[in-house]
Amino acid sequence: MKLEVEGLTVYFPYESIYPEQVEYMRELKRALDAGGHALLEMPTGTGKTAALLSLIVSYSIHKSFKFKLLYCTRTVHEMEKTLAELRLLASHLPTPTSLLALGLSSRKNLCVNPHVLSAQSRDSVDAACRRLTASWVRSLAHDNPQVPTCPFFESYDRAASAGPDTLLLPPGVYTLGDLRSFGRSKGWCPYFLARQMIRYANVVVYSYQYLLDPKVATIISKEMQKECVVVFDEAHNIDNVCIEALSVSIRKQTLEGATRNLTQMSQEIERLKATDAGRLRAEYNRLVDGLAQRGNLAITDAWLGNPALPDDILKEAVPGNIRRAEHFLSVLRRLVQYLKSRLLTEKVETENPVNFCAAINSQAGIDQKMLKFCYDRLHSLMLTLEITNTDEFMHIQTVCDFATLVSTYARGFSIIIEPYDERMPTIPDPVLQLSCHDASLAIKPVFDRFQSVIITSGTLSPIDLYPRLLNFSPVISRSFTMSLTRDCICPMVLTRGSDQLPVSTKFDMRSDPGVVRNYGRLLLEMVAAVPDGIVCFFVSYSYMDGIVNSWNEMGILQDVMQHKLVFIETQDVVETTLALDNYRKACDCGRGAVFFSVARGKVAEGIDFDRHYGRLVIMFGVPFQYTLSRILLARLEYLRETFQIKEGDFLTFDALRQAAQCVGRVIRSKADYGMMIFADKRYSRHDKRSKLPGWILSHLHDAHLNLSTDMALHIAREFLRRMAQPYDKTGCGSKKTLLSEEDVMKMSEGAMDTY
Amino acid sequence: MYGAGVAFQPTSSARGSSKEKKRRDEDEEEEEDDNEGKGTDAWERAYADERSWEDLQEDESGLLRPIDTKTLVHAQYRKRLLLRSSTGGSVASRIQKGLIRYLYIVIDLSRAASETDYRPSRMAVVAKQAEAFIREFFDQNPLSHVGLVTMKDGLAHRLTEIGGSPEAQIKALMGKLECCGEASLQNALELVHGYLSQIPSYGHREVLILSSALTTCDPGDAMETVQRCKRAKIRCSVIGLSAEVFICKHLCEETGGTYTVALNESHFKELLLEHAPPPPAIAEYAAANLIKMGFPQRGAEGVVSICSCHKEAKVGGGYTCPRCKVRVCELPTECRTCGLTLVSSPHLARSYHHLFPVAPFDEVSPHGRPGQRLPTTCFGCQQSFVGQGGAQPSLRTSCPKCNQFFCIDCDIYIHESLHNCPGCESQRNSSV
Repeated sequence: MKLEVEGLTVYFPYESIYPEQVEYMRELKRALDAGGHALLEMPTGTGKTAALLSLIVSYSIHKSFKFKLLYCTRTVHEMEKTLAELRLLASHLPTPTSLLALGLSSRKNLCVNPHVLSAQSRDSVDAACRRLTASWVRSLAHDNPQVPTCPFFESYDRAASAGPDTLLLPPGVYTLGDLRSFGRSKGWCPYFLARQMIRYANVVVYSYQYLLDPKVATIISKEMQKECVVVFDEAHNIDNVCIEALSVSIRKQTLEGATRNLTQMSQEIERLKATDAGRLRAEYNRLVDGLAQRGNLAITDAWLGNPALPDDILKEAVPGNIRRAEHFLSVLRRLVQYLKSRLLTEKVETENPVNFCAAINSQAGIDQKMLKFCYDRLHSLMLTLEITNTDEFMHIQTVCDFATLVSTYARGFSIIIEPYDERMPTIPDPVLQLSCHDASLAIKPVFDRFQSVIITSGTLSPIDLYPRLLNFSPVISRSFTMSLTRDCICPMVLTRGSDQLPVSTKFDMRSDPGVVRNYGRLLLEMVAAVPDGIVCFFVSYSYMDGIVNSWNEMGILQDVMQHKLVFIETQDVVETTLALDNYRKACDCGRGAVFFSVARGKVAEGIDFDRHYGRLVIMFGVPFQYTLSRILLARLEYLRETFQIKEGDFLTFDALRQAAQCVGRVIRSKADYGMMIFADKRYSRHDKRSKLPGWILSHLHDAHLNLSTDMALHIAREFLRRMAQPYDKTGCGSKKTLLSEEDVMKMSEGAMDTY
Repeated sequence: MYGAGVAFQPTSSARGSSKEKKRRDEDEEEEEDDNEGKGTDAWERAYADERSWEDLQEDESGLLRPIDTKTLVHAQYRKRLLLRSSTGGSVASRIQKGLIRYLYIVIDLSRAASETDYRPSRMAVVAKQAEAFIREFFDQNPLSHVGLVTMKDGLAHRLTEIGGSPEAQIKALMGKLECCGEASLQNALELVHGYLSQIPSYGHREVLILSSALTTCDPGDAMETVQRCKRAKIRCSVIGLSAEVFICKHLCEETGGTYTVALNESHFKELLLEHAPPPPAIAEYAAANLIKMGFPQRGAEGVVSICSCHKEAKVGGGYTCPRCKVRVCELPTECRTCGLTLVSSPHLARSYHHLFPVAPFDEVSPHGRPGQRLPTTCFGCQQSFVGQGGAQPSLRTSCPKCNQFFCIDCDIYIHESLHNCPGCESQRNSSV
């Protein structure tokens, strides 16, 4: 259908539209018109992606494709879903438009060369690719046909060199799978084809890292022009992604690996000195001339970029004392040695970067400027030495990243050395962490460079905190609610067990056997009353282990298993995937199942428990972060000093967004229904509850705020019976929730009249 | 409230059936019980009349008032009637219906059936309603057969063979009421599938599952069994007592049945009775074929003969098969000796109305359109539309064919029991 949104013709791929989608589009259009950033919260299951894509693509058609859409997703799965939605949209666009949209992912997901694909990890796939396609390998192969190269890349390169701007990919929407099959049929390398084509594409769907992590962003997204609209979907954790992009952690293994790398490199240098001294001299001369980076790198040679943000990189010549390869290596050796000595500490140390640099200077004789150039110098050296197995050199790379970051940023970072894990003080596991506290650092270039940045998710409440955390000023920030034909979500706050004693995962109460038993009774009552799938979220792995163990001893688990099978998430990805698979099977065949999972775990973030896979989700406790963690404490302090955000506020915000994220897994569309139980007395307090997203709060009746187990059970039974009745999807009268083309027209006319 | 309802009921001569009288008697008995209940002490009474607050509702101005059960019932009835006629297509396009049904009722006697959210327990409610359903079913489908299967301890067990006698079925059911263990949907379906695949092709194979349990404990893949039922053209319907279960929904969608979940006991009864009228025939079966039937004569009084069903000598009554002259006790049945289907002509006639239902009546506003004079009395029962003492005029409807007006009680009677419109019938007579 086509509809008008404030004078803009929007092509929408479905026959009818939800009213909140129209609202969403209107706000989005205003943000685009104003050329500013926007923060939009809309519950999942209301067709956020469809609304977003159709408005921006229509807007872009309206402006005759002057700007590009960069759509960032968190996972490959979401990327594929977005592209599928886009394909549907493309088939509804007016015929003469030539939309080119594609997804970009790592080589591991795009490569079609069977030799390369046999490698396991992402890094080793990258290295295997580089071994076949690096410029020196190719020039070697030019002389000696025995040297293996990648046939896909070679034929792609021939096609690309025919004319630099020939459009290699016909217009259309390409998912990763499409790119692979297109590459196979043409014999072209899909990865480099995609890398090339994102310059010409109208819509690019890729991962957050490609914009936020400076190491990757400098390579991939450098050439994006200002007139881009950037969308971060499912962006409730964007501050954590930003922080991770600028954080480095070094363990004992890293340093040992780095030492090995250094030995290998020095051997390589010796060999090169004997065979081809000219190459080393050429590098030296280039560095004297002040070019840290070789210009015009071949697309295949580009490795990870500088870890610091582009604006913060020094535009200077490399200092004289690290220009010679041997000298640089000895500097690195001293640095690694120094870091090793720091790791030997017995107690936890926290330091700021300035002090740390000063200590390096006095103890290892490496000044700040040398540290800053570590990354660039290493990169140059690796190219000179023509190293292709980059995966083995990750360790020294990490050390150099660390050096460059620690010397570049004086504020917003801290260095924390922990000799052991807090929870297991008997096992020595020293780790040195450079942790970034300021989420606004990594995202700042994105806000500065691009015209409009849209941050959207199902849970962005409280919406006023994000601009403060990310340090930007949105032109539009709004939270939408869901229009429903029936009350298909039923949130409840359970504060008491069946014996009327309060339940909570507060530190002093969580190991109380009464609380454990009450939680167990709650689960037991619910498994008997709720059909198919139930998902339970616990606050941490250790708490889950503890409580499941106690339930087992009390015999509660055995009773639960009479009604439903029990599956548990573990830290092992393969095991968890298997458990999920069997969980789904048990829900399908009517046996019923319970899934025990952890807030902040993999399941809580990425797996949907829609329809019968999740009729009820129980959130046991409030998922606060581990508040004794040094990193968290340092970050809280920084937030308080810099952004005036109180510790308590931030912790509550973070816990509640996790809780909302967990319970939001259960409802994925309007036709779906599900119950949510927040089982902790602290949820009934206003300061906690008010931080839940609006679409949950609007269904949280006062009568459901302070329940005990038996009352919750009664409500659950009633709710399930009511939801099982047949209903009318379109709604009726004034509560219309599915609009046809005419309805939208009428609505906009009505809006005109009121102005 | 009940007292008010009686005044509007059609005269007992119009209804006349002994069953109706009996039911009314029961009502009165209950009322007496209630009166007795009021004499007991307050703490005892609390349990006799539980949840009295549920009979209250809030009106627009926030006042509490008792729920107007009568209008509610009428509204529900109208909705159901319209729904039925709309799903079954318009009256003019006569759809085929399966009149000869072979129905297995699967009763869930697993642990979940002992729960007490229905009073006194789910099991007792199911049994009670199943009894009523079986009677109603044979009343509406005299040519059909019913069998009972129970699920308990993870097994499915056939309680009664498929047959045409309501009494035998009910007796068997009442004798076996105890519950334990798990329910197994797959086992029940496999069992029923085994029996139903033997019946002749003109019969419609149906399963009605009354499920209390929310889980099914199966030995294999239930999905495969669902597909087998689909291939065998068995129409499976499920009525759940507590919540929607995916596998049941899947089963019903695949096999063309209906899946409903009861809100409370009266809703359960309603849902159950919806299965009494024959469903539309499955398209593949719609090919008309001829069935050989015998119309046995009733045996003379005082004649002693050995009946083939009980293998014992009986005096008087019974029927004689027209082909092999063997004696059977009741109709409809299949002759034990020669396999002929034995029915009586009233049975056929009673099934007939399903094919030509009375068109749903149009609702008429109590005040009528301007310029139109409405009759003041119901064409059926001759009672005045205007209630006694200037009470609010009750709902009235008119037949679209003969344009006669009827009160809502006659409307219900015409559509549910009589299956003929008195207005249309009398017109035909006068024209002849």
